[in-house]
Amino acid sequence: MKIDHSVPKEYATEENRLKIFGFWIFIGAEVALFGTLFATYLTLVGHTATGPTGSEIFEIGPVLIETFVLLTSSFLIGLSVHAMRLGNKKAMLTFLGLTLLLGLTFLGVEIYEFTTYVHEGAGLQTSAFTAALLTLLGTHGAHVTLGLFWGLAIIIQVSKRGITPETANKSFIFSLYWHFLDVIWIFIFSFVYLKGLM
Amino acid sequence: MSLKELFPAKYVTGFIFSLVLTVAALSVWYFDLSYQVGLSILIVTAFIQAGVQLIMFMHVGESEDKISIYTHTYYAVAMGLIIVIGTLFTMIWGYQ
Repeated sequence: MKIDHSVPKEYATEENRLKIFGFWIFIGAEVALFGTLFATYLTLVGHTATGPTGSEIFEIGPVLIETFVLLTSSFLIGLSVHAMRLGNKKAMLTFLGLTLLLGLTFLGVEIYEFTTYVHEGAGLQTSAFTAALLTLLGTHGAHVTLGLFWGLAIIIQVSKRGITPETANKSFIFSLYWHFLDVIWIFIFSFVYLKGLM
Repeated sequence: MSLKELFPAKYVTGFIFSLVLTVAALSVWYFDLSYQVGLSILIVTAFIQAGVQLIMFMHVGESEDKISIYTHTYYAVAMGLIIVIGTLFTMIWGYQ
């Protein structure tokens, strides 16, 4: 395996470079997935049947917490990749650990939100609106949940093997995934919550 | 290793910018704006915010494959927009 030392470790071999390219193609497919979920939500948002409307169940408080928590975690994983490039394993793992901690906080707030919705009579089967809403939010939340396990596995591997072309590549690809989830959240924050509360 | 090395200006700027954009988007909730004005603000802030993530944090331009990555990502975003706008066009706007 030829290692090119003139570029960051995550790009150092051809395989690494192609894995990053491949992950961008995966992100393209994810854009289509979330595109269909947003299209469904925006089509059905007015179909509330006998259930509540968005403005009746959305609360700005938890949503703002989720947004700031996720934006900060996206910043922290950026710093983690930066520390990785400096070869600072301790700082890299600290930033990555904090990223996951904020991810866990996000998930906790989202679970609290979901239980509140269900208590207020907005379950998955209440109306076309609640079904589309909870599917969109739930798909994003499931991605965050997967990300928590993925990130944890990376922390374990980097602390065992150190920063190698292989672990750096995995960490970098995970950071792309995490930033992408943040981008999706921005759209949920804007076109689900703020649009609903407007 | 100094703090300045661990917190590069580019990242800190990107983070602050993303917070500012969030506050700007919040104006649609805080002020009593018309639907059109509010939605226009949200479209602008959301897409700039996505761009900030892509350019500041996702290192999109530094790989040898950057032309392919850019092409594919633009294509994916275009497809996403066609899915959303096309669905609204056929399912909602056509009936008004």
